[in-house]
Amino acid sequence: MTTAVLLRTTRRRRTARALLVTAALAGAVATLFVVTMMVGSFRLSAGEVIASVLHLRDEPSVDFVVRGLRLPTALSALTVGLALGASGTIFQQLLRNPLASPDFVGITSGASLAAVFGIVLLQAGGLVVSGLALGGALLAALLMYVLAWRDGVSGYRFILIGIGVAVFFEGMTGYVLTRAQLFEARQAMHWLTGSVGQASGSELRLLSIALAVLLPLAVLLQRQLRALELGDDAARALGTRTELSRAGLLAVAVTLVALAVAVAGPIIFVALVAGPIADRLLGPAGGGVLPAALAGAALLLTADLVAVHLMPTPLPTGVVTGAVGAPYLLWLLATTNRQGAGG
Amino acid sequence: MTRLRAEGLTLGYDERPIVAGLDLTVLDGKVTAIVGANACGKSTLLRGLARLLTPREGAVYLDGASIAEMSTLDVAKVLGLLPQSPVAPDGITVADLVSRGRYPHQGWFRRWTERDHDAVSRALDATGTADLVDRPIRQLSGGQRQRVWVAMALAQETDLLLLDEPTTFLDIAHQVDLLRLLRKLNAASGKTVVVVLHDLNLACRFCDHIIAMADGSIVAEGPPTEVVTAELVEKVFGLTCVVVPDPVAGTPMVVPARD
Repeated sequence: MTTAVLLRTTRRRRTARALLVTAALAGAVATLFVVTMMVGSFRLSAGEVIASVLHLRDEPSVDFVVRGLRLPTALSALTVGLALGASGTIFQQLLRNPLASPDFVGITSGASLAAVFGIVLLQAGGLVVSGLALGGALLAALLMYVLAWRDGVSGYRFILIGIGVAVFFEGMTGYVLTRAQLFEARQAMHWLTGSVGQASGSELRLLSIALAVLLPLAVLLQRQLRALELGDDAARALGTRTELSRAGLLAVAVTLVALAVAVAGPIIFVALVAGPIADRLLGPAGGGVLPAALAGAALLLTADLVAVHLMPTPLPTGVVTGAVGAPYLLWLLATTNRQGAGG
Repeated sequence: MTRLRAEGLTLGYDERPIVAGLDLTVLDGKVTAIVGANACGKSTLLRGLARLLTPREGAVYLDGASIAEMSTLDVAKVLGLLPQSPVAPDGITVADLVSRGRYPHQGWFRRWTERDHDAVSRALDATGTADLVDRPIRQLSGGQRQRVWVAMALAQETDLLLLDEPTTFLDIAHQVDLLRLLRKLNAASGKTVVVVLHDLNLACRFCDHIIAMADGSIVAEGPPTEVVTAELVEKVFGLTCVVVPDPVAGTPMVVPARD
């Protein structure tokens, strides 16, 4: 076999696999999306759900349950999952570290501090808390970028500073909580656990619009991401404007995660595991942003199903993702150390 | 006319300049070695020539234009660089890595074309890595891995290729193997090659032109037979030695003196 033929078959196989994985993930997400709206105390068929969501038929009792009660939660799980998955994989690839998800590098904890501050000291609720969370996440990201800057931002420094910032914010959050009255403390703790059920219509709309703009942008920026993965010198030698590309990719990832946290609170581990799951399916160094986003959505929809319907009492989504994510994190730490490839 | 030259080039990372007021012309269509003791500024010079470092003073000219004012992408179409320690993403395969060399020739929306395909095939053939296309980089030996990185730089299809210590971490057989590969590429396509090397004997044996550096400036340059003398080695490396002709090729060979 000549090289040209060999190369062509290899590439064709890769492309076919990427298409298949993306299509399968999209199918899974669509199915889960419909299923979450079917189950509950008032059971519905798939046909009824689809007809109601797409406004094909008008049936007041079904429409009330689907459009009024279940669709907002399902949409929230879908959009938050997409945003977390895309954001997580961008962070991990950009910082070249599987542990560098936004949960760990201080962005989520910045949002948490701002939100808890709002709930406890300003007695705020709803949109104000979401706005504060969004602001907190963006400020935390900006702070880390400035602190990590020294003739450019390197992966390792960003991660270490991020971990430091996260610990600092968590300490502050704990302090604010000690100042709280019982009612506000309860509310704050509920927010801190993270739940897709707490989203309001206006926040959801904002996240959906942001996803419609930023997800395609992230897919386009994947080209730069592939070059940056090879190290800064190699990326520049290939013609990448490294600082500009990195700043752009970080801005997209930070905005996505900030909005997701503003909508649903800090749902942990989804951003951490979505990328690796997509990569496992795509084959080595696949790194697709879209498959990772879909994996995130599938994960969160499943977690929501489990949290609300399979548990004896309905739980916040964050409890379920945490219970699944923590063992994965341990496994990741254990195997990474064994390979000696922590950096 | 030479395509790549530096004028009054001063480079550095912090306050202290590492390369100071250096003039240099890279000979077209030749293989040039930059040699010198550790920390003499040879890698810094190479990074400056490839636009990875912005000059403090002076400039690097590529085809008559100052590269600091050219776009990164335009430079990348003419001049390729293999850095000292590029990072292979986890689990990446040879085909994927070499294909990434096509980056400067692709656009935001223009994806894979026949030209890309041909360039990658040629690069794999030239470096003898074609039968490895499906293999993950991590499973390859050091010598194979270095050939794959060279293949990526070749897929970029540049007229000039700079390599920063490509033979470090390779055993003697693979060092020779890699330098033979560079010679072959130069002979086949007239590619201008500049390579930072540690081993003076290999540099003499495989390169047309030697640039010897010490403390950020050029001490001597020219064909190996004219440049490499016992005095130069003493001056550049601080080693007392005897220089004898290589028994095979007749190029200068450095033998340390008795202590």
